[in-house]
Amino acid sequence: MRETYGVVLPGMNLADLTGKLIVIEGTDGVGRSTQINLLKPWLEQQGRAVLDTGVSRSALAGKGIKQAKEGHTLGRITLGLFYATDFANRLEDEIVPALRAGFVVLTDRYIYSLMARAIIRGIDPAWIRSAYSFAIKPDAVFYLRIGVDDLIPRVVFSRGFDYWESGMDLHPSEDMYESFRKYQMSMLAQFDTLAQEYGFEVIDATPDIRTVFERLRSGIARVLSGEPREPLFAVPTPPAERAEAPEPRPAETPALGEPAVGAEKQPESAPHALAKAAEGDSSR
Amino acid sequence: MKRYGEHRFPGKLFVVEGIDGSGKSTQLMLLHQWLQAEGYGTVFSEWNSSPLVRDTTRRGKKKQMLTPATFSLIHATDFADRMEHNIIPLLKAGAVVLCDRYIYTAFARDVVRGMDPQWVRELYGFAVRPTVAFYFRVALDVAMKRILDGRAGVKFYEAGMDLGLSEDPEDSFGIFQGRILEAYDKMVAEFDLTVVDATLPIEDQQTQMRQIVRAKLAQAKRLRVAP
Repeated sequence: MRETYGVVLPGMNLADLTGKLIVIEGTDGVGRSTQINLLKPWLEQQGRAVLDTGVSRSALAGKGIKQAKEGHTLGRITLGLFYATDFANRLEDEIVPALRAGFVVLTDRYIYSLMARAIIRGIDPAWIRSAYSFAIKPDAVFYLRIGVDDLIPRVVFSRGFDYWESGMDLHPSEDMYESFRKYQMSMLAQFDTLAQEYGFEVIDATPDIRTVFERLRSGIARVLSGEPREPLFAVPTPPAERAEAPEPRPAETPALGEPAVGAEKQPESAPHALAKAAEGDSSR
Repeated sequence: MKRYGEHRFPGKLFVVEGIDGSGKSTQLMLLHQWLQAEGYGTVFSEWNSSPLVRDTTRRGKKKQMLTPATFSLIHATDFADRMEHNIIPLLKAGAVVLCDRYIYTAFARDVVRGMDPQWVRELYGFAVRPTVAFYFRVALDVAMKRILDGRAGVKFYEAGMDLGLSEDPEDSFGIFQGRILEAYDKMVAEFDLTVVDATLPIEDQQTQMRQIVRAKLAQAKRLRVAP
């Protein structure tokens, strides 16, 4: 049975949500929508029905948010709550029904981006977490990670700087370039914190589109086959910590002789699962 | 981001609460007239009136697409806009701010609609604690009579029709308002609401209200503007 991050909304039945909820997170301009546009047909070719959704696309509040962002009178708490309204509408009217019907739901951002944006605008982190505590825990969060120096050329040579993505509401005295840089650096720092807290699977988004797509694809294939997570995508932990697996290993496996990849905590079926994961990509 | 109760402003905030038909809006209007005549810089802020959010709320209500969650969140968004743009700056400037309905309306309605009580309270954690929150308490049948005599009918969400309590709007309205009344009564102690007997003659209620407000203004910075 699925869980939320806290409260359950009235009338929301969490049983029988057989679909998969997969989140693609990452900062502005990192290529989330490009990847989703590749992932959707790939999944459909395999016979999986896909719903793709994303921030401020709700029937209820999408328009209102766009209008409100055009003027510059939008307060920070107000914006945070407007996004929460949009999210609740999509969760109840799109995401949950799709999960019940067995769809793969690919969502371009989830509550994490919304929390990061609010937190760097001075909103109390505990408050924003509580506000979003009705969100359903996803099956996986793939975080497309990029450094600010790799990000800037992409944005400059594609669509240019956007007022909100540059945090101009935060640094009105700066030029757009400096403001963008500052804002995105704070966003990336927030994402790194959230990645730890919520267990994102980090994917390096600096290589070309194809390479990132292949990495995402193998991660998603693994999630869809119900296999446990590979340590490959985990947030890097210091080797010292990694060696001390939280679950005691059986006596016959000497800890020192263990290859790094198998040292992560795994249920008893781990060798089997890893073997399957290795052949998974080519068999599809 | 400051939390409920942490704000310290020179201005004063008076709010009225109560079920529909309790007479709270009439009382607030009379108080407003008096404060203006006394020369106080007084500003009135109404529930659900943010221009930024209005279209979204209207769309949701018209198409009956609001669930308890989205109903709650869109009203919180509206309230946040008024808080950030009107109420807090006015209080900082030393104004007397009057609110017809406040966060307690949301606590009562949203919880009756099934939202988690603690979650709703936390959601409104950015609100300023009022100087005085008046609660106009009235029996359900008295309020019902006042409303139904004076109006052509009740609206879908106003009657709580989204809860499926009854097919008949008037029956649904009665059941819904009854539950809200219970929710208000429970909040009197929790939020130290000032209870006014809303069955008393209008002038008597107003006299009571002005006495309480006068006492709070006596300690306040006297910001007077020409009437």
